[in-house]
Amino acid sequence: MTTAARFDEIVHAPNRLQICAMLAAVESADFPTVREGLGVADSVLSKHVRVLHEAGYVTIHKATCASRVRTSLSLTTAGRAAYQGHVAALQAIVENGRKKPEVSRRPSR
Amino acid sequence: MSAAIPPEEAASAMAAIDDRRAWLADRLIAPCWYHPALGVLAGALIAVAETRNWPLFYWAVAGYSAGCGALMWMNQRRVGVAVKYFRRRVSIIFAAQVLTLSALVAVACWLDLDRGRRGTFLVAGVLAVAITIVFGRWTDRALRADFQARR
Repeated sequence: MTTAARFDEIVHAPNRLQICAMLAAVESADFPTVREGLGVADSVLSKHVRVLHEAGYVTIHKATCASRVRTSLSLTTAGRAAYQGHVAALQAIVENGRKKPEVSRRPSR
Repeated sequence: MSAAIPPEEAASAMAAIDDRRAWLADRLIAPCWYHPALGVLAGALIAVAETRNWPLFYWAVAGYSAGCGALMWMNQRRVGVAVKYFRRRVSIIFAAQVLTLSALVAVACWLDLDRGRRGTFLVAGVLAVAITIVFGRWTDRALRADFQARR
């Protein structure tokens, strides 16, 4: 099944794109794992996760284990579709860019 | 599709996606002790049959189950992601591992219980360690390739 290319402004922000790329490959990922993968602070990740959550792209699960709260993230069906559509759009842009003939610049005098 | 981003920016975004996928694929690879530990558990379970002490064998089955569960739990905590492990290639490798170990146990049973050759379960136990390690490494490689191939 091919996904329709659809550029998504919410997904396109660099950190959010990487969050989606990680979550699209797995069922769910722990918050510290995603933070480590991105190399950002908790607050930065929280901000981006909140944007994705408000868009309905990410679900946040909280489970208490040995009196510690474990937060894990997963993409919703809508989030997965948005991410795949965005990746298809990026691929289309890259391919269109390759098809364009190289325009040699005229040297300025 | 409407986005006025230059192809360079799109290519850079694609590269970032590949980079995160590669990072995740590396993280999924089990630590060096993981497969040998699983192998020792499987090998010990088979080797215990050599004693022909069935209560001890039942305890070994319980120990094997608990040990596998504990190892998988520890690895899961380390990795920090929940993955569908049984993708196509990984399922084939896992089925091949189960069949190989089953064949090994069947041969050991035949040689020991039917032909009366003592020590076969010990040899089978040692072989089970090697088989588990080899198939475990193949599984890791298949998982890594699968993660890197998909966006």
